[in-house]
Amino acid sequence: MTITQTSAAAPATGTPPHTAHRRRRRRTDAAGAYLLLMTLAVLFVGPFVWLVLAAVKTKAEWVAIPAEVLPDTFQWGNFTRALTEINFPAYLGNSLFLSFLYAILVTMSSAAVGFGFARLRGHGKRPLFLLLLSTMMLPQILTLIPTYVLFARAGLVDTYWPWVLWGLAASPYLVFLFRQFFAAIPAELEDAAVIDGCGYGRIFLQIFLPLSRPVLWTAFLLSFTWIWGDYIAPALFLDPDHTTLSVAIAGFYRDPHGNPDATVQAAAAALYVVPVLAIFLFAQRYFIRGVVGSGLKG
Amino acid sequence: MAPERARRGRRSWKRYSSRTFYLFVSPWIIGFTLLTALPLGYALLVSLTNFNGRTDRWRWIGLRNYRELFGDADAVASLVRTLAYTAIAVPLMVAGGLGLAVLLNRRLKGVGLFRTIFFLPSVVPVVAMAIMWKLILNRDAGILNALLEKVSIGPIAWLVDPNAFYALIILTLWGLGGGMVIMLAALQGVPAELEEAAAVDGASRWHVLRHITVPMISPAIFFQVVTGVIAALQIIIQPLLLAETNQVGSVAQVPQNTHLFMVQVYQEFFANNRYGYGSAMLWVFFLVILLITVVVQRSSRLWVHYEVDSEADR
Repeated sequence: MTITQTSAAAPATGTPPHTAHRRRRRRTDAAGAYLLLMTLAVLFVGPFVWLVLAAVKTKAEWVAIPAEVLPDTFQWGNFTRALTEINFPAYLGNSLFLSFLYAILVTMSSAAVGFGFARLRGHGKRPLFLLLLSTMMLPQILTLIPTYVLFARAGLVDTYWPWVLWGLAASPYLVFLFRQFFAAIPAELEDAAVIDGCGYGRIFLQIFLPLSRPVLWTAFLLSFTWIWGDYIAPALFLDPDHTTLSVAIAGFYRDPHGNPDATVQAAAAALYVVPVLAIFLFAQRYFIRGVVGSGLKG
Repeated sequence: MAPERARRGRRSWKRYSSRTFYLFVSPWIIGFTLLTALPLGYALLVSLTNFNGRTDRWRWIGLRNYRELFGDADAVASLVRTLAYTAIAVPLMVAGGLGLAVLLNRRLKGVGLFRTIFFLPSVVPVVAMAIMWKLILNRDAGILNALLEKVSIGPIAWLVDPNAFYALIILTLWGLGGGMVIMLAALQGVPAELEEAAAVDGASRWHVLRHITVPMISPAIFFQVVTGVIAALQIIIQPLLLAETNQVGSVAQVPQNTHLFMVQVYQEFFANNRYGYGSAMLWVFFLVILLITVVVQRSSRLWVHYEVDSEADR
């Protein structure tokens, strides 16, 4: 940090030609930055565009060599076929049901656990919190397969009970998010309630929860998209009739020869990502809060 | 009299508070016990048996699964591959996220739009991600090969050996927006005067980035490295879904180059029905991940600067 010490003398050396030069340099800089940003933006958006283009092509256009960028006529029929070739509404219903179920349960349980770690005192709280933090680092896939084996023996496979249990068990990641938020709320609020003879149950429900609406939304939206986008758990735990849209889209679109039906699958995938993108675009700040809040203030 | 009552009151309050604490955190304690500790413990027991997941006729075989694992060339190769993937993907992810964040951390018009665009892919479900990239990387109909042909590079089979590995890296990198957002938030906490002062002193932009910005945000970078390493080690769905196959999720058709350790574990469990052996693999992997995490944590002392330490300098 020696640079900060020498910097005090620097402003005096700024002469007019110098600043003109710098302004010009800044303008070419901005142009260069925009060029770079545009190129990168094309790379990041490209896959979405190519997906939608594939979804409106005929099969012949899709396999044509050299690749054709635009179809002759837009094949909107691919979307109807995506909806009817498999039982799309049923899988959509399963996905929505599981996502809502898990998101509501895990948001409430994580809020309660986060409140406990933020505002209450108890023996062994510190080691418990360290344990919670270390489970954030535990790859979920390690426990998922043995959980599957156990649940299969307990008859919980091919039911939605695993999602209920996962939801009730709270997510360490969201607990941490809530804990950070609750810990920042001034103590006077809670002290006043305690003096009035208010129990912690009511303090949590009537004071803290109403204050934490933004974090509740963040937790709900994050957990909703986790389940909506999950592949491995429904693939393992659910039979093909009760599975989610993600599993159905990944594997159920077949042409009569049993090969993947690329254009119809693309249409289905487009339908499948639209809700996520819509939620994301309207609620981006909640996602940013979720990603940043968990990562930085450790 | 009064202090006695107060003390008793305080003690019962303490007891009430402690009980309430456990009441509030009980969902996680019970959940952790039943859904994390129990499965891991169960896997440890199963790893000492020859259980095949179907019949109840199994017996204890001691450490034989573990001994077999160290001589299992396929398993060892898949572990090495996983480590290689981690060693390549994580630095690229972190550097890419940092690069984008630095680009976006200036007062330019439309920066918010670009941030949205770069962040967007990281919320796309993995199934959709795999479908999108298979459409792009398709050998015959994909746009990437069509573009490469314009500069006379012959069609490349991206989704099979040996290129499948690059396809996996590309897919991973597309989702680096989450890390970018964390870096961007960290960058916004770096006092602008510090960087400006250095620039006025004639420090090149690279110099400022290397010696001021990066040390200032090293906790965020460290967080990215830790979570990135753990995410990279456990990767399984992407290789399964990227494989060109008629049967999605079938392990048999995953290319050799993306046959990572968890894919191998999955195969032992669900294709070979070797639950005992697969459980042993899970436990060895668990220990490997633990070891790597500890090493990364230790290394942080060398390069991560926390606010508390730098306070004295400023």
